[in-house]
Amino acid sequence: MEGTGVIAFAASLAVLTGLGAGIGIAYATSKATEAISRQPEAAGKITTLALTGLALTEATAIYGLLIAILLFTKI
Amino acid sequence: MMSGEELMHKMQFKGYDINVFGFHIPISDSIIIMWIVMAVLIVLSIIFTRNLRLVPTGKQNVAEVIVEFVNNLTKGSLGHYWKPFAPYFGTLLLFLVFSNIISIFNIIPSGKGIAELTGLSFLEHFPEIAPPTKDFNVAAALAVMSIFLVLFAAIKYKGVKGWLKSFLEPIPVLLPFKILEYFIRPMSLTLRLFGNILAAFTIMELIYFAVPIVVPSFLSIYFDLFDGGLQAYIFVFLTLLYVGEAIE
Repeated sequence: MEGTGVIAFAASLAVLTGLGAGIGIAYATSKATEAISRQPEAAGKITTLALTGLALTEATAIYGLLIAILLFTKI
Repeated sequence: MMSGEELMHKMQFKGYDINVFGFHIPISDSIIIMWIVMAVLIVLSIIFTRNLRLVPTGKQNVAEVIVEFVNNLTKGSLGHYWKPFAPYFGTLLLFLVFSNIISIFNIIPSGKGIAELTGLSFLEHFPEIAPPTKDFNVAAALAVMSIFLVLFAAIKYKGVKGWLKSFLEPIPVLLPFKILEYFIRPMSLTLRLFGNILAAFTIMELIYFAVPIVVPSFLSIYFDLFDGGLQAYIFVFLTLLYVGEAIE
């Protein structure tokens, strides 16, 4: 089919959103660990906030994956 | 090399078509897998809660640990409103955990394999064991259920007036965003669950194709067990968070 290579390249570019999500998750987790080791009694609240943040950060990677899948169906 | 078409075939949904009294009812693979999950859950619930005693022994300990975990989870985010919500979240968590990790059972020969072994031709379309939550529709249905729970909980505990007033808090300028939240939240819940499970499933399929022995068994622990459990927990946790926000 015409333009298959371009579509495949675009799909691979879309998956690069994982890069940002990876860095974001790593940063958030390291900060959460730091916070818990400073104040262990607040572990419950910090875990709640960290998990929410992680889930929201991860969403960008999922959207990238979704776009990649949508492009993939065009091949 | 595994072609794109073959991979697409694995990601799509076939299934039975049933004709009952002139009605045409399509039944997809994910529905059949969900029926299996439901049957397993119902049978396990009956087995684990038979002969309950005051001093727990054997299998009753396991059941109590699970119930206790769910109760503490709901108590943690909903405060003293936890009681009516705990059964829903427990069911949701168990269902999601079972359906997300079901792909570790895909050693069972499916479809054509079973049909050849037993000689029963109607088993030929029996689906491959794969998580039903990798189907966008299943994830969307669960997310819509969650957002309706948030809506009803808000109306029940605040009253219609209080619920409408909550749209104008803290400042009325945020009204459009507050309304949009009711559409964005189920969408992000859906995409998170479906995207994660589909990604893990696709990666496992690629690994099965590339290195069929030894390696998949280790990676399956991460992609099937850990990721599936984590996503189930996150789905329940975020729903709890939304409900907690709505009723406080």
